[in-house]
Amino acid sequence: MLYLPAVLLAAVRLGRGPAIAASLLSFLAFDFFFVDPRFQFGVGNPSEWASLILLLFTAIVAGQVAADQQARASDARAREREAIVLYDVLRLMTEPDLEPSLRAVAERLRAELDLAAVAVELRDERTPRRFVAGDEPALHRLGPGLASRVLSSGRAPTAAQRAGPGRWVRVIPANAAPGVPAQAGFASVPILGDGTQLGSLQLLARADRAFAPADDRLLTAAAAQLGTAIVRARLRRDAAENEALRRTDELKSALLDAVSHDLRTPLASILAAASSLRQRDVTWSDDERAEFLASIEDEARRLDRLVGNLLDLSRIEAGALRPQVGWYDAGALVDDVLGRLRHVTAQHRISLHIPEDLPPVPLDYVEIDQVLSNLIENAAKYAPASTTIDVTLRRADDGLRFEVRDEGPGIEPAEEPELFASFHPMPRKAIRSASGIGLGLAVAKRLVEAHGGRIWFERPNDGGARFIFVLPLAIAA
Amino acid sequence: MSPSAGARILVVDDEPAIRRAVRTNLHAHGFDVETAETAAEALERFEHLRPDLIVLDLNLPEPTGLDVIRHVRERGSTPIIVLSVRDAERDKVAALDLGADDYVTKPFGADELLARIRVALRHLARPPRGADSVFRTGDLRVDLERREVTSGGRPVRLTPTEYELLKAFIAHPDRVLTDRMLLQQVWGADYGDESHYLHVYVARLRKKVEDDPQRPRYLITEPGVGYRLLLADE
Repeated sequence: MLYLPAVLLAAVRLGRGPAIAASLLSFLAFDFFFVDPRFQFGVGNPSEWASLILLLFTAIVAGQVAADQQARASDARAREREAIVLYDVLRLMTEPDLEPSLRAVAERLRAELDLAAVAVELRDERTPRRFVAGDEPALHRLGPGLASRVLSSGRAPTAAQRAGPGRWVRVIPANAAPGVPAQAGFASVPILGDGTQLGSLQLLARADRAFAPADDRLLTAAAAQLGTAIVRARLRRDAAENEALRRTDELKSALLDAVSHDLRTPLASILAAASSLRQRDVTWSDDERAEFLASIEDEARRLDRLVGNLLDLSRIEAGALRPQVGWYDAGALVDDVLGRLRHVTAQHRISLHIPEDLPPVPLDYVEIDQVLSNLIENAAKYAPASTTIDVTLRRADDGLRFEVRDEGPGIEPAEEPELFASFHPMPRKAIRSASGIGLGLAVAKRLVEAHGGRIWFERPNDGGARFIFVLPLAIAA
Repeated sequence: MSPSAGARILVVDDEPAIRRAVRTNLHAHGFDVETAETAAEALERFEHLRPDLIVLDLNLPEPTGLDVIRHVRERGSTPIIVLSVRDAERDKVAALDLGADDYVTKPFGADELLARIRVALRHLARPPRGADSVFRTGDLRVDLERREVTSGGRPVRLTPTEYELLKAFIAHPDRVLTDRMLLQQVWGADYGDESHYLHVYVARLRKKVEDDPQRPRYLITEPGVGYRLLLADE
């Protein structure tokens, strides 16, 4: 019976095979030392056979049980580690951003399995992207060589690719069973999701190490986890993109709404005046005729400014805006604009502050004319009749400063952040009462910025609105 | 000079150029014209002047043109002609549902606006339809007492629904009636959205009373809005 502990010890420490060997050994030793005739392998008394066989049987069974127990314990440890790693992967993948999550997962797997490098390669709709963990030389060895290209694309290598440097890569199937002996220091696990291959998990073991079978199962499970998480992240991204598209559509139709209103309003005045002039049942006095004609002219100009804004905006959006800069007298420009807009500002008092000693400014005359026109037209549109519109020029540290200030209702703080945004939907009320303001300010901002200047809004203490833009006095490089 | 000359018209629009053009034009055609820039001003002028007709731009800042219609309708049946930009189709229907009499789409010609104003004022001058038991326009004759309809002298047989629909048109000749108004009048309050019923019955009615149902003379479609019973020129 003394031999049993030895058998158990062998089972626990060394597993099933050694346990059986130990059982046989103890059987022979017992036969040799204690069974008559002693010191030889023979059994005199047949009844001794029974006890000998019993000993052997007991030793083998006990060894087996102990070895099983041991295997189960180590298996449980492996599964526990697996569960922790998978849980970590899951946790890392709940981050809203896919890319940092994948990088974190790569690092986590590298640390857990003590690998040289790990890469998560995504075969996206666009270009394949890799998220890596590990030091530079290892990553270089893991780099997107021929094998990983073949593995991640599923296509046979081209002749040119085959001519490049090669290496062995171990492929762990998506449903790997443990027990396949490890052969290479490289491993590639496909990441599946939604029935397609989304990419692969590529791993590089440290020098002179290989992957253990238990690692295979962990990697397979981690890859499956990654697949699910990536599919989820893509769905999330698609939903966000759809939402963005829907919003863009909404903005576009709001803009179209505003633009068609803005275009039709001057058209309505022109048509009403022109068709009046053509009526044969009335004889118009000279004054009436002049009034209709003036209305047609003013509204046609207004239409032209609006079309100009629209064209500018589309040129800006297309990135085709290049100011034709020349040196001009800003005071003369302001006079020009006010002269052209005199019908628009007829109901308002204009107060001009232009110092005598202003230096010439490098600007695109047409574009800055448009900026000033937009600001003054807005002021006239917003501020009630017989209030004052101040137009001020002055030198500032950073260039020449243009200010347009009105005594209108001002800008709601809530509207302020969106003031200069293009395609931003104004509340319906604002669209109609200040037709074109969204467009006008958006265009003004782009034009000023194209000159290297800036434009902003200030709320004067005593009410109204003040728009300011500064143009640099040196030509921007 | 038009027959309705001398009528007082209130023109409400926030566009100075439109106000000017419409005022000058209507004035030259013998109307007494007042203008207002905002809805608030319009309501004040309305109370003060009691105009015979209102030309109203829907697109006013708060309060809107719709608020003006509501207010005016609470106080009587002063005809209202709505001016609207074409894409505000829904606003147009809302305005008509609230009781506006007609609409003119911007941009518009001076003659078109004048014609609509004359039609609206003509209703005002005419005794209410209910007093007259026989309705006549062009070839169409409807004896409301005897439920007899003839077109060009030949009798027309209408189903009860078709007859009710025709009656709804006769009650408001020359006025734009929205789908909703007609449906509720003929089918009942629950049928405001079933426009397809209406389209089917209008088509049938046209087949029976129009000489050429493809080019109706009486039952005119107002695209996106509803229908109008057009009176033949007298």
